[in-house]
Amino acid sequence: MKYNIKQLSVFLENKAGELCEFTRILSKNGISIKSILLADSTDFGLVRTIVDNPEKAKTILEDEGFSVRFTDVFGVKIEDVVGSFDKVVSTLSEAKINILYTYSFYEANTGIFIFSVPKERFDDAIEALKANNIEIVHAKHFYM
Amino acid sequence: MTFSKNESLSRNELQAWQLKHLKETLLRVYHLVPFYKKKFDEHGVLPQDVTSLEDLAKLPFTKKKDLRDNYPFGMFSVDMDQIVRIHSSSGTTGKPTVVGYTEHDMDIWAEVMGRAFTMGGVTCQDIMQNSHGYGLFTGGLGFHNAAERMKIAVIPSSTGFTSRQLLLLKDFGATVLTATPSFALHMAEVAKAEGYDIAKDFKLRVGFFGAEPTSEGLKNEIAHIWGIDYHEIYGLSEIIGPGVACNCKHSNLLHIHEDHFYPEIIDPKTGEVLPEGTRGELVITTLTKQGLPIIRYRTGDITSLTRVPCRCGRTIGRIESIVGRSDDMLLINGVNVFPSQIEHVLSKQEGITLNYQIIADKKGYLDKLEIDVELNEHLISDDVSYLGALKKNLEHALLNNLYINVEVKLIAPKSLQRSEGKAVRVVDKRPK
Repeated sequence: MKYNIKQLSVFLENKAGELCEFTRILSKNGISIKSILLADSTDFGLVRTIVDNPEKAKTILEDEGFSVRFTDVFGVKIEDVVGSFDKVVSTLSEAKINILYTYSFYEANTGIFIFSVPKERFDDAIEALKANNIEIVHAKHFYM
Repeated sequence: MTFSKNESLSRNELQAWQLKHLKETLLRVYHLVPFYKKKFDEHGVLPQDVTSLEDLAKLPFTKKKDLRDNYPFGMFSVDMDQIVRIHSSSGTTGKPTVVGYTEHDMDIWAEVMGRAFTMGGVTCQDIMQNSHGYGLFTGGLGFHNAAERMKIAVIPSSTGFTSRQLLLLKDFGATVLTATPSFALHMAEVAKAEGYDIAKDFKLRVGFFGAEPTSEGLKNEIAHIWGIDYHEIYGLSEIIGPGVACNCKHSNLLHIHEDHFYPEIIDPKTGEVLPEGTRGELVITTLTKQGLPIIRYRTGDITSLTRVPCRCGRTIGRIESIVGRSDDMLLINGVNVFPSQIEHVLSKQEGITLNYQIIADKKGYLDKLEIDVELNEHLISDDVSYLGALKKNLEHALLNNLYINVEVKLIAPKSLQRSEGKAVRVVDKRPK
């Protein structure tokens, strides 16, 4: 379980100020956003975010009337050189693991790429990446 | 077990009773209520022209407007020295309607409520938390009096103050809950938020709910969340208050106490009496009331009636759960739509709640219907296309069930206003 990062997925109505309401609640409660991805359709949006205290964030957001879900994702450390992201994606592809979505953020010179894969392939993905000497981030890296 | 023998008379015995009391009621209103004398005379019918139950159809209807026009006591058939209780509607849409009860009427009310309690297996051993509003609304005191007479311990908690209600419910260990369905749902929501374990903390085993049209799905949800037998109780103040009809354990249909309240189903447009089993507006004539006897009252409630005896042994007729109000009925591009039909569709979909609002509006010359539905606080999926599909599925199911195009909007939990009385489900923005 040490690689399972608890990503929060939060439903947002498509109206002005909704994202702001979400970020205000996190900030007011001292929760730090490590990475965020906003997916949207014409009718609504879905925020995927990694925070330093996911349990607390989920409880607070639900109390404030948000619809929230945990999704397990993993993070991969990638150096800033040509071909490094390709190596990760190729490894997953060769293992026939479908990537649902991915997003990234940077710490100093390394990038961390977050991956969501089908739940039942999560462990396979970790195995395949390890076998290729790709560094996977420990979940506790993000938490307080 | 039944509460009184009138619930299981043979059809002949029941009809003889009904006709006898109908004739008495017609004489009473004709001679004691000037409104009825004038109305019958205008229609060219006299009480003695009614010699069979079918003849009732010759008589004119009574409408809510008639009660308003005769505000406050013009429709009473006794003097004030006989009246022991007065109730009144809120009058939000004009003058309130006022109803009065004699001691005899109070007996009838307690009797029909006693029948309902017996259908739910409630006895003097039980504790009843009565979360219906106390005051001019008939819900609170109607339940209260009848329960007291049956020696049921009543907690008159009334509506609102949800946190305190939950505390009482737990500490006093009520076994019976009475409330509006939307308040029962609201209580469950608050109970969860406050960390109660509903199965362990409460002793409820049966509930009586009414005063709002409620879908099968919502009833099942309330029964499931609270772990209780759900009994629907139907009534309206103009007839007596709660207790006009209630379902037993054997049927979803509601036994209507037709020895006191004679039911007819009519076409709301033409006024014509419809055959058994057909949906239409429920019309009721009181057979035994003194304070406010009422002839062919247009309830505005849409239902159907059957007189097939029930498995429980009762022979009195049964109505189906109210499908909607003839005045809540929305006409959308020529199609009749009842909020309960929409609720039924919503109740079958996972991931959403039954907190919704129906918004009717105009787009050019056409009507358009939008339904805002609150998502469950536990988001069902983290996939945008799944949520998009959920919306499309609902729209498709609504089209199949209602034969109209509906736009579904998924909204965040708890964003619609919560009700502690009757739920506001429909917002009609179309110019009148």
